Amino acid sequence: MTTDLPLPTDRAAQLRAELLADRPGTLTRLYRRTFPMVERHVRRQGGSAQDAQDVFQDALLVLYEKAVAGTLTLTAAPSTLLVAISRNLWRREWQRRQQHPHAELSPAQADALPDPDAPEPEAASVLEQLARLGERCQNILLSFYYHRQPLEQIAAAHRYGSVRSATVQKFKCLERLRAAVRTAWADTADLLTR
Amino acid sequence: MRPELARLQRIEQHLLGPVPAAEAPAWQLAQLLDPELAADAQAQQQLYRGLQLAGRQQLRRELQAIHHQLYGPASAGWLRGAVGGLRALLRRGLRR
Repeated sequence: MTTDLPLPTDRAAQLRAELLADRPGTLTRLYRRTFPMVERHVRRQGGSAQDAQDVFQDALLVLYEKAVAGTLTLTAAPSTLLVAISRNLWRREWQRRQQHPHAELSPAQADALPDPDAPEPEAASVLEQLARLGERCQNILLSFYYHRQPLEQIAAAHRYGSVRSATVQKFKCLERLRAAVRTAWADTADLLTR
Repeated sequence: MRPELARLQRIEQHLLGPVPAAEAPAWQLAQLLDPELAADAQAQQQLYRGLQLAGRQQLRRELQAIHHQLYGPASAGWLRGAVGGLRALLRRGLRR
């Protein structure tokens, strides 16, 4: 007897295809289907609604990056894996809180602490200069390097006649970003040596 | 493609592409011939790290928007909880 269930690799490939074709729709479906389960679990295990949201979004980010990179293996539905990642993340967070309970800090003290999520200066500079590039370049660079969209899709979205044109445009955008970051760093170094 | 863009592409293939073992000596030779190659590759790697970070920030904003769209603003969590509690009370009241 044959089974119609897709193979694990097919399931991951299917999720990747859905994310590439319609990211907002696919993420919304996953969110709607899975978040209530995670929220129930986290709240039963002593977390708040905000904890549930944080943990779930972290888990979805992990799943998304693996899915679009083609490194995901799915032996069950994506929502099952999402719940498992979320539970794991919440368990780790819960243990961390047990070991290091928050000391009460005044707002001034909290502001004085270094932000653990703050990007390193080089990456922060790239973020700043990327925000100054035109919308088209930002979109092309993020679509290719983060969302892993194929160049065919980028070419179609931006109405380039060929993949080759889209490739050239992508490198032009990368060149502009590199030049902007270099100038910003040279200006900073200049200021520091004055 | 302009030579400057082709150079970016060459570095990208080295940094992101599947680099076959046979490619390693060619890269070493290119580094000997082009003393700035290693520093430029490092700078390009920083660009990719920054783009990864920017992409994550974009995705987090999108997820936040989805949450908002599905469940309303953060305070709606309390509201949903309160409404759920009231419903449960009503159900219990009706059963009596």
